[in-house]
Amino acid sequence: MKKLFVLLSTLALAATTFAVDIGKPAPDFTGTDINGKTVKLSDYAGKIVVLESYNSDCPFCHNHYATGAAQELQAQLTAKGVVWLIVDSVGTSNDSYRTPAQARQEWADFKIKATAWLADPSGTIGHLYGMKTTPHLFVIAKDGTLAYEGAMDDRPETDGDPRTAHNYVKAAVDSLLAGKPVAVTKTRPYGCGVHYAE
Amino acid sequence: MRRFIILLLACLGLGLPPARAAHTRVTLLLSATTAKPGDTLLAGVDLQMDPGWHTYWKNPGEAGIPTAIKWDLPPGVTAGDIQWPLPHKLPPADVTTYGYLDEVMLIVPLKLSPDLKPGQPLNLQASLTWLECQDQCIPGKAKVSTTLNLGTETQASTNAALITSWQQKVPGPLNPAEWSLQAYWDKPAEGDSRPLVVTGKYQGIVTKSLHLDSVDFYPTANDTFAIQPATDLSTAPANGFQLRKTVKKYSGDWPLTVAGVITIQGNYGAQNYDVQLTVASTAPVPITASTSALNAPTAPTQSLILMMLYAFIGGLILNIMPCVLPVIALKILGFVGEARSQPARVRLLGLTYAVGVLCSFLILASVVIGIKAAGHQAGWGIQFGNPIFVVSLTTLVLLVALNLFGLFEFNLSGRALDSASQLTLKHGYSGAFFNGVLATALATPCTAPFLGYALGFAFAQSAPVILLIFLMVGLGLSAPYVALSWNPAWLKYLPKPGAWMEKFKIAMGFPMLLTMVWLFNLAAGIYGSQVLWLGIFLVLVAFAAWIYGEFVQRGRSHQTLALLILAGLLTGGYAWLMEGQLHWRDALKLDGSAVSLKDGADGIDWASWTPEAVTAARAAGHPVLVDFTADWCLTCQVNKKTSLEIPSVRAKLKEMNAVALLADYTHAPDNITEELSRHGRAGVPLVLLFPKDPSAPPIVLPEVLTPGIVLSALDRATN
Repeated sequence: MKKLFVLLSTLALAATTFAVDIGKPAPDFTGTDINGKTVKLSDYAGKIVVLESYNSDCPFCHNHYATGAAQELQAQLTAKGVVWLIVDSVGTSNDSYRTPAQARQEWADFKIKATAWLADPSGTIGHLYGMKTTPHLFVIAKDGTLAYEGAMDDRPETDGDPRTAHNYVKAAVDSLLAGKPVAVTKTRPYGCGVHYAE
Repeated sequence: MRRFIILLLACLGLGLPPARAAHTRVTLLLSATTAKPGDTLLAGVDLQMDPGWHTYWKNPGEAGIPTAIKWDLPPGVTAGDIQWPLPHKLPPADVTTYGYLDEVMLIVPLKLSPDLKPGQPLNLQASLTWLECQDQCIPGKAKVSTTLNLGTETQASTNAALITSWQQKVPGPLNPAEWSLQAYWDKPAEGDSRPLVVTGKYQGIVTKSLHLDSVDFYPTANDTFAIQPATDLSTAPANGFQLRKTVKKYSGDWPLTVAGVITIQGNYGAQNYDVQLTVASTAPVPITASTSALNAPTAPTQSLILMMLYAFIGGLILNIMPCVLPVIALKILGFVGEARSQPARVRLLGLTYAVGVLCSFLILASVVIGIKAAGHQAGWGIQFGNPIFVVSLTTLVLLVALNLFGLFEFNLSGRALDSASQLTLKHGYSGAFFNGVLATALATPCTAPFLGYALGFAFAQSAPVILLIFLMVGLGLSAPYVALSWNPAWLKYLPKPGAWMEKFKIAMGFPMLLTMVWLFNLAAGIYGSQVLWLGIFLVLVAFAAWIYGEFVQRGRSHQTLALLILAGLLTGGYAWLMEGQLHWRDALKLDGSAVSLKDGADGIDWASWTPEAVTAARAAGHPVLVDFTADWCLTCQVNKKTSLEIPSVRAKLKEMNAVALLADYTHAPDNITEELSRHGRAGVPLVLLFPKDPSAPPIVLPEVLTPGIVLSALDRATN
C-alpha cells in the first residue's frame, strides 16, 4: 500500500514538474463542486481562470478570508468575467477536511464570492498543478495557457490587512484584461503545506 | 469541533496571542549571568514543541514560515543573526519542509558595547513569531525576557553548556581537508526548471572505502528561485557523492551561486557545512591523475618517494653511461684538479655546474609538460598499444644497442662535441655552467638503469610531479661533481679513464638488447605471428647500421656508393616487409573469444566484455564484475594478482553466481574508451561491479585494489 502511494505520488510529482509551466497550456481537469456539480476547466475555455488552493484552517489562508480581502477580490474579478475556482485538496482524514455540507456552511459564513469550490479530497487537481501551499494561486489566460503561478501577494503574514500588499493575482488578471504582458509570472508560494490524503 | 474553536480563536484575533501558541513553549537563556562591557555572549532561544509538532528552519521549504526573533534591547547591546542548528527534512514528499521536531534552540550572539557601565542590570527582551504545524498549522507569538548583570568579571551561567551543545549543531564553514565540493548545471534549462549537480570528493585519508549513509543539500531560501527538495543520489563516484537537484526559477536569471547546508553521514562520521557554491555552466572534466591519488593516497605517495629515489640513482648512473662519461668526466675532473689550490672557487664552480644541469632539466621538464598539455593526456601506458610507437621505439633501442657495441657512431653528437668542447675549455663560471648544460644534452639520448622506470612514471603524472622527477635526475647527475669539488681528495678513489671505458660501453649494449626484446614482445601482442616480418626488418636495420659505420663513417673510399646501397636496402626493406607484408601501421585485430581467459583450473571464469554481455547477464539476475585491463598496465596486473584472482574473491564470485567480464584495453578499442570515459576515467585500470538489482547503478572500485575493497564491494552488490 505504502509502495503504491509512493509510486502514485512520484507520478503526481513527475506530472507537476512537467505539466505546468508558464506559457504552456494549463492541463484540463474534471472535478466536483460542493453542490455536486461537475466542473471542467475546459468548460471555461476563452475565459480567464484563477485557481486557488484553499484551507481556511491555515492561518495564512484564513487571514485572507477573515479580513474579507479575498472575497473582495473575487467579487471584483468575477464581475469582469473572470472564473475563480477554489480547490480544496485536504484529505478526508485531516481535521481540516470539510464535508460538502460543512463547506456550503463555510461558503455562506465567509460570504465567499468565487465561482465554485471544488472538493478535491483525493488531491487529483492539487497534484496535477503541483499545489504546495494554502494559498497557492494559478492564473490561466483566455487562450488556456498558464500566465501566473505562486503567492497571492508579497505579504506572507497570518494577520494584518492583505489589502496593503501588492496582489500578484490581481496584477496578472488586470494585465491580461488590458492585453498587456504579465509582469510577474512566478513567485514563491507561501503558507501551510497542502494537507493531502496519505 | 477543534477547528471551530481554532476558527473562533482566530476570529477573536489579536486579543489572545499566547493562547494560539498552544503547542510550543519558548524560553530565553543566556550563556552568562554576569558579563563585562565589551563581551559577546550567546543567547539561546529555546522552542519546545509538543510531540508531533514542528517549527521551521530559516528556509521552511515548500511551505511554512521561519521563526522570527525581534529583539528589544537596551542601548549598547546588539543582537547578531540567528545561528540555526541543522534542521530535519520533514515529510510528506509532495510538500517537503525543513524544520525542527520536539525542540530547537536558536543561537543569537549578543554584543555588549565597551562603553556600558558595570553595575546596572540589563533587561533583554525579544518577541518571537513562528508557525507550528502538525495536521494543522497555527501561528505562534510570544514575548520572552531575562536580565543580565553587568560586572567586571564574566560569570558563565548554568545554561552555558546547553547553549554550546546546541551551537555545535549549527553547520560551520567547509573544511577543505575533509571535502571538496563542486556545483554545476547538468543541462540547459527546460522552461523554468534546470538540473543542478553538486559533487563532493572526500579529501581525508581513506583507509577503507568510503560509504555514505545519507547526503543532502538544504538550500537557503531565495525569492527568485527554489532548489527543489527531492534529491537524486543514484550516481555515486568512488569516495564521494553526486547529488542531483532540480532548480525552479521564479524570476530573473539563473543563479551563479547556490547557498545552503550540505549534510553528509557515513563511515567517516557526520559533516555539516554552511556553503556557498559557484555554479559552473558545465560539468568539470574529470582529472584522472588526482583521482587515483585520492583513491589510494598511501600507495602513490610511497611510489612517488621511491620514484624520486630511482630518478636520483638514475641520474647518478648517467654519469658513467658511455654518452656522458668519456667527455664530461674529463672536463669536470680537469677543472676540479686544476683549481685544487683554491678550494672556495672550486666549490662555487661545482655549484655552478649543478645549476647548469638543473636549468637544463627544468627546460626538458617544461617540454614534456607542454607536450602533455597539448593533448596527450591519455597517459604514459597507452602508447604501448600503438603499433607506430612500439615499432619506432624497438628500432631506436636496437640502434642504440648497436651503437654501444661500436658498430657505428651517432655522427651528430660527435660533431656537436667537437665544437662544444672548445667552449668548455673556457675556464671560470660560465664554463662550468655550460658544462652542466652539455652534460644534460649528452645525457638525454642515453638511458640508464632505474631512469626509464622513473621517467615512465613521471610522464603519467601531473606537471609538478614531472618537474620533481626531472629535477631529481638532474641532482643525481650533478651530485658526484658537487661532492668532488667539496673534497677534491676523493679523486684518487676514481678509476682513471682508459681502455676499460670502451669495454664498459659494449657491456651496456646488452641491457639495451634486453629492452628491445621486451618491446618486440609487445609488438608480438599487436601483430601476432606476423611479428616475424618486423624481426626480419630489424635485422635489415642492423645490417644497414653496420654498412653505415664500416663503410660510410670509417671507410676511406666509395662512401657515396655505400650510402646509396644503404638507402636502397632500407627503403626496399621497409616497403616490402613493413608495408607489403606487415601493414605495420594497422594493429592486427585479435579475436579475443578464441583465447582462453581463464587463469588456471579454479581461476575466475572470465568472458570477453561487450556492453550487450553486461545487459544480458544483468537481465538474467546475475551481478556482473567487469575488469578493464591491458597488458601494459602494471597496476591492472597487480590488482589482478593481489585482489581479484585470489581464493576468497573466486569463492565469493561463485557463491553469488556472478558473471565476470574482461575488457582488454591493450589496443585501446573505441568502445572501451567510450565506456571508460562514461565512468570518468581516461584509462585503465577500472573495475566495475554491477549489483544484482538491475536498476542499481554500478559500483566503481578504486584504481588500486585490496582484497578488502573487492570483498566489501561484492557484499554491497549482493544486497
